Amino acid sequence: MSRLGMLLQIAWRNLLASPINLIIGGLILAGTLLFVVVGGLLDSLNDSMARSVIGSVAGHIQIYSSKSKDELSLFGGMGGDPELAAVTEFPRIKEAVEGLENVKEVVPMGSSGALITAGNIVDVTLEKLRNLIKARAGSADDPRLARLTPEALDARISATRRHVRQIIRVLEADQKKALAILKDQAIDPDVVASLEKVSQDAFWDDFDQDPWGSLEFLENKIAPQVTDAQLMFLRYLGTDLDQFQQSFDRMQVIDGTPVPKGQRGFLIAKLFYEDQMKLKNARRLDKLRDATANGRLIASDDELKRFVKENRTQTRDIVLQLDDLKTAEATTKLQAFLKSTDPDLTALLSTFFDTTDENLEARAAFFYAELAPMIELYKVRIGDTLTIKAFTRGGAIQAVNVKVYGTFSFTGLEKSPLAGNTSLMDLMSFRDLYGYLTVDKAEEIKRLQQDTGAQTVTRANAEDELFGEGATIVAEATAGIIDEDKTFTGVGRRLREDDLVKRVYTDSEINSGVVLNAAVMVKDPSQLTATIEAINRLSEEKNLSIKAVSWQQASGILGQIITFFRGVLILAVLFIFGIAMVIINNAMMMATLQRTQTIGTMRAIGAQRSLVLTMVLTESVVLGVLFGGVGILLGTGVMAWLHQRGIPAPNDVAYFFFSGPRLLPDVSSGNLAIALVIILAVTLFSTLFPALIATRISPLRAMQADE
Amino acid sequence: MNSIVSIRDVVKEYELGTTVVQALRGVNLDVQKGEFLSIAGPSGSGKTTLLNLIGCVDTATRGVVQVAGRDTARLTERELTDLRLNTIGFIFQSFNLVAVLNVFQNVEFPLLLQRKLGAKARKERVMSLLEQVGLHTHARHRPSELSGGQRQRVAVARALVTEPLLVLADEPTANLDSETGNQIIDLMKELNVKKGTTFIFSTHDHKVMQHANAVIRLADGKVLARESAKDAVAHALSLGEAPTAEARA
Ligand SMILES: Nc1ncnc2c1ncn2[C@@H]1O[C@H](COP(=O)(O)OP(=O)(O)OP(=O)(O)O)[C@@H](O)[C@H]1O
Ligand SMILES: [Mg+2]
Repeated sequence: MSRLGMLLQIAWRNLLASPINLIIGGLILAGTLLFVVVGGLLDSLNDSMARSVIGSVAGHIQIYSSKSKDELSLFGGMGGDPELAAVTEFPRIKEAVEGLENVKEVVPMGSSGALITAGNIVDVTLEKLRNLIKARAGSADDPRLARLTPEALDARISATRRHVRQIIRVLEADQKKALAILKDQAIDPDVVASLEKVSQDAFWDDFDQDPWGSLEFLENKIAPQVTDAQLMFLRYLGTDLDQFQQSFDRMQVIDGTPVPKGQRGFLIAKLFYEDQMKLKNARRLDKLRDATANGRLIASDDELKRFVKENRTQTRDIVLQLDDLKTAEATTKLQAFLKSTDPDLTALLSTFFDTTDENLEARAAFFYAELAPMIELYKVRIGDTLTIKAFTRGGAIQAVNVKVYGTFSFTGLEKSPLAGNTSLMDLMSFRDLYGYLTVDKAEEIKRLQQDTGAQTVTRANAEDELFGEGATIVAEATAGIIDEDKTFTGVGRRLREDDLVKRVYTDSEINSGVVLNAAVMVKDPSQLTATIEAINRLSEEKNLSIKAVSWQQASGILGQIITFFRGVLILAVLFIFGIAMVIINNAMMMATLQRTQTIGTMRAIGAQRSLVLTMVLTESVVLGVLFGGVGILLGTGVMAWLHQRGIPAPNDVAYFFFSGPRLLPDVSSGNLAIALVIILAVTLFSTLFPALIATRISPLRAMQADE
Repeated sequence: MNSIVSIRDVVKEYELGTTVVQALRGVNLDVQKGEFLSIAGPSGSGKTTLLNLIGCVDTATRGVVQVAGRDTARLTERELTDLRLNTIGFIFQSFNLVAVLNVFQNVEFPLLLQRKLGAKARKERVMSLLEQVGLHTHARHRPSELSGGQRQRVAVARALVTEPLLVLADEPTANLDSETGNQIIDLMKELNVKKGTTFIFSTHDHKVMQHANAVIRLADGKVLARESAKDAVAHALSLGEAPTAEARA
């Protein structure tokens, strides 16, 4: 046996002799296991989150104006969107940065948001009627209506009138129910009287004699009774759409088509489209199906029960969309499907939506096959033109019409609200909304001033109008109803969207103009820090006034989350190892004192101090390596198992962090090495003092009995 | 000169708080190679103190202690340790085996410290010594599985395994019954004769004493006389000192 062998043997036997070593070992094992598993998980999370952030919006590096007041925070910060100064020399910057070795591409960007209202069905239908009547009078706003023959116009007017009358019937029925419950006094008699009036044939017979007055009556007295217009906050990212799609290859167009190269256009984030713009009943049916497919049961799930209940009570969105003919058709279909004789569509729908685990599939299938074709499932249809109004940075209101070409999502992040709520817009429209003068806009303003003598809206009076309020505002979305041509009903339209929608912009036109930030895609992501430094240096040399930050920094709080959890982990591990150190220190101290005669004897018969030191240290290192090794093995095993199984995302938010439905964690060899170093450091450090004490034991101690 | 140990005017003082205890008060002593020397004297007379100085585990307050021709006062801690390892063997009153090592490993221990011999040579050396002390069949036993006498035999083997010039034993038989004690002394004597190793041991026991070539009589920190074993035993008996180990126990 060698000297080391002997020391190991002494260490091993000493360890076996003392039960406290089990406690120490347990702590070391727990600390190592925690470090390897949680550390590995955090690393994997960091990687997957990096993929999500990089692949969905940030790119590897973000650049923005160094004159900005706030730091860039792509997912919004504590106080909403950060205030960024505009980058005005983008083409020069793009060229310079793309000249760097590791840079693949620079994609221009700018993000903002607007509140949009999807007008309620009565408003929309009445506005349609008004436009049709206007067209009949020969003063159509919409060029598409102006092209219709008088016969076609009449047919549409009578269809729309029927729809309005159907709406009134529904409102009347609602009112009757309300009256029965509330007794007369609770309802404004004026409201009752108005409804009474417009439900009479006489009102409609006289309609054409004074169409404007009749419309006004309907708009003022009837429309306000339906107040369920929905406010939606639309977040959008203005970018070079073509380049964006090439650079962010996880992006996929789901419905519709990509925006043609160089054209204006809008792509709605699929999740937002489904969550916010889809008919609520249909959306809830989807969610119910999704949940039951994942093994949840309506019978025992409170959230699902709530969906069913809401589906049963909130059927008005469907009923109001149907004119008299379609109401009759839907009623017949439902009566046959439900084997019921109830003549009331609302009651039938309520029965129909009473879905259970057994009938859900059949009902959902019926809904999509039979009812959906009669109604509009989405508040905005692919192909519609969306009018977005927002306050510019200067305070004026800008409205922009953009055609919705389709919806998109990022592969793996389909369900993530973080990645699925930001829609995409062309840079031209974004600049219009943001209030920077574009070529189009300059021309337009000139034309407007000539045409109407309108004054340029100054910042001061714009703010007066709006009581100095915040940043975003109303846009009205077209809710196209039934199988008619897409009609455009935007309010406050100032641009001739027909021309603009078709206009194709060149790359240089797209690039020259302001952007707020830009994503830099690199060739080798491991050189990120060096590339960031290179960009910042370049900015100084060439006076570009830009600042480059990593995707992590650019993602604000989100990017700090992993760092935060890593801090927590380190604290926990430190805590465990701290306790281990105290116990090791104590135990080794005791052991040393108990072994003074043995150590004294060794010294007497010729062992140098260094041997005693080595002997004591060996003991705790063996302990550490042994239990730490088991911890590492166990941790690696757990990680391998987790990798094989995958960790399913517990909720939609987690999709983003997992970069998909499952996290497949990996243990990095770096983590194992760090774990080993920590164990060695902890054991050596905590034994150092007892070991030094041991070397001070005199050989004279050999002559005395142990205490 | 043939002296293995040479001690001149050695004084050893222990400080106990404010008072100073003089354990040795001017000791002179020469030990020749091959001697089988006993140190006798009443309790507290300084036997252990003297052996510690010779064994280089302690240093004198004044005077010169030379072991194997080297002045121990001039050696560093490391050099003293090396001197102990290579020149001196120790046998302790309470055996002092390493409890977690087996018999073989205990005996092998000094050889591992020396790093002079390879594994095979070490094994031969250890086994031959175990055979000489009659324990070659117990090589794999742990000390706790042995009797007191057997343990002390292992200690003897350990002390001799490095073939030291000098073996020191402070009351090697005090924890043994008289018969076993005698066997240990016989074993030491046998090795002294066979290998010429010098032995210095202390004892109270006149039966043990009588095996010695010579006896150094200590009293009150001074050497009273150097006499033959026979004289020493007679003297001890006349002083009415504890006659046998059994009687003392
Ligand atoms: N470490 C010490 N500190 C203080 N005094 C000591 C110490 N060691 C020994 N002495 C004293 O020195 C004197 C000699 O002691 P020593 O142990 O050498 O005697 P001894 O002859 O071996 O006695 P015994 O037969 O009882 O073993 C005694 O008076 C003792 O009290
Ligand atoms: Mg003594």
